[in-house]
This record gives sequence, structure tokens and C-alpha cells, in this order.
Amino acid sequence: MFGGVFGGGSQKPVQSAPMGGMPGMGQGQGQMDPNAQLAAAEQEMEMVTDMFARLGELCNKKCILQRYSDEDLTKAESVCIDRCVAKYFQVNREVSDKLAKLSQVNQ
Amino acid sequence: MYNNYGPSYQEQRLQQMMEQKQLKDFMRMYSNLVSRCFDDCVSDFTSNKLGDKELTCVTRCTLKNMKMNERVGQRFAEENAKLMEEQAKLGN
Repeated sequence: MFGGVFGGGSQKPVQSAPMGGMPGMGQGQGQMDPNAQLAAAEQEMEMVTDMFARLGELCNKKCILQRYSDEDLTKAESVCIDRCVAKYFQVNREVSDKLAKLSQVNQ
Repeated sequence: MYNNYGPSYQEQRLQQMMEQKQLKDFMRMYSNLVSRCFDDCVSDFTSNKLGDKELTCVTRCTLKNMKMNERVGQRFAEENAKLMEEQAKLGN
């Protein structure tokens, strides 16, 4: 369940920690005033939950055959999900790297 | 406004925000689940009651999607932790 990402259940909590993958994020937050800090934390939370929702939707579409012959995940589906999440994050890294390079070139 | 309060107040506010977010996301997940299982399982309108096949399908659909969500959440947390480690290394 989504709730696991922010703590609860057996998942590792990802609480108020900066979400990587965006150039320049999660650095130097100690310098900001508390108001801005709170706003930034909220922004990051929004990003993480949005990413999770998209990821969930896409991997579901790509990995779950809608026949529902069984209530458990098949081995194939489980493996597919693991790989799907891993690749999504790789795409995330690639895109943010390329964007960072582009913005450097423009400066 | 927040300048007068210590870091524990901020943590409280953050905690509140996270809880609200979790609730909102749970509601959204529930709605999506209903939509998806209806879409995938129901197409026979010769009756206004769900047939046995449809009921079974809906049960399986719900359980399977919940399990999938859970697994995605686990993998997501792992990958995100990895990513943050990398970011932290770059930042130092």
C-alpha cells in the first residue's frame, strides 16, 4: 500500500528526507528559514507521492494481465514489478542527468 | 509564524501533513481500485446483480492489486533509499 512508503507496515520509512533525482534538491536546506523549509518539504512530499502514483499505474499496466485467474501475484508478475520499479528509477536518473547537463550548457 | 516555534513544532506539522497525505492517497487508491475492478470484471448487463464469475473476479482483482501495490511500495522505498544515498554522496 502507498502508506508504506512513509512508514508503517514492513516498508522502510522515507520520512521528510529529500527525494533524490532532481539536480540541486535536498542540499543546503539547513540554510532556509523554517517557513520555506516546511514548504520545500511539502513540495518534495508531493513529488514523491506523484512519482509513486505514476509508477504504480505504469507498472500495473505493463505487468498485470487483467485476467485475474488468481488472487496472488504470479512469479512472472512479481519479477516484472521488481524490474519495472528499478527501470523507472533508472529512467528518472537518466532524465535528470540529461536535464542537468542541458541547463549547464545554457549557462 | 513558524519562527517562534522550535523544530519539534515543525516536525509535528510535517507529521500532520504526511498523515493527511496518506489519508488522501488511501482514498484515491480505493476509488481507483473500484474503477479498475469494475472495468476489468463487469461487462454483463443482462442482470442488475453481480454474477458469481464477476464476484470472484472482483475479489481476485482487489487482492491482486493490493498485493501489487504493496510490492511496488517495497521496491520503491528500496530504490528511493538508494537514490538518496547517491545524491548524498554527490552533495558531499
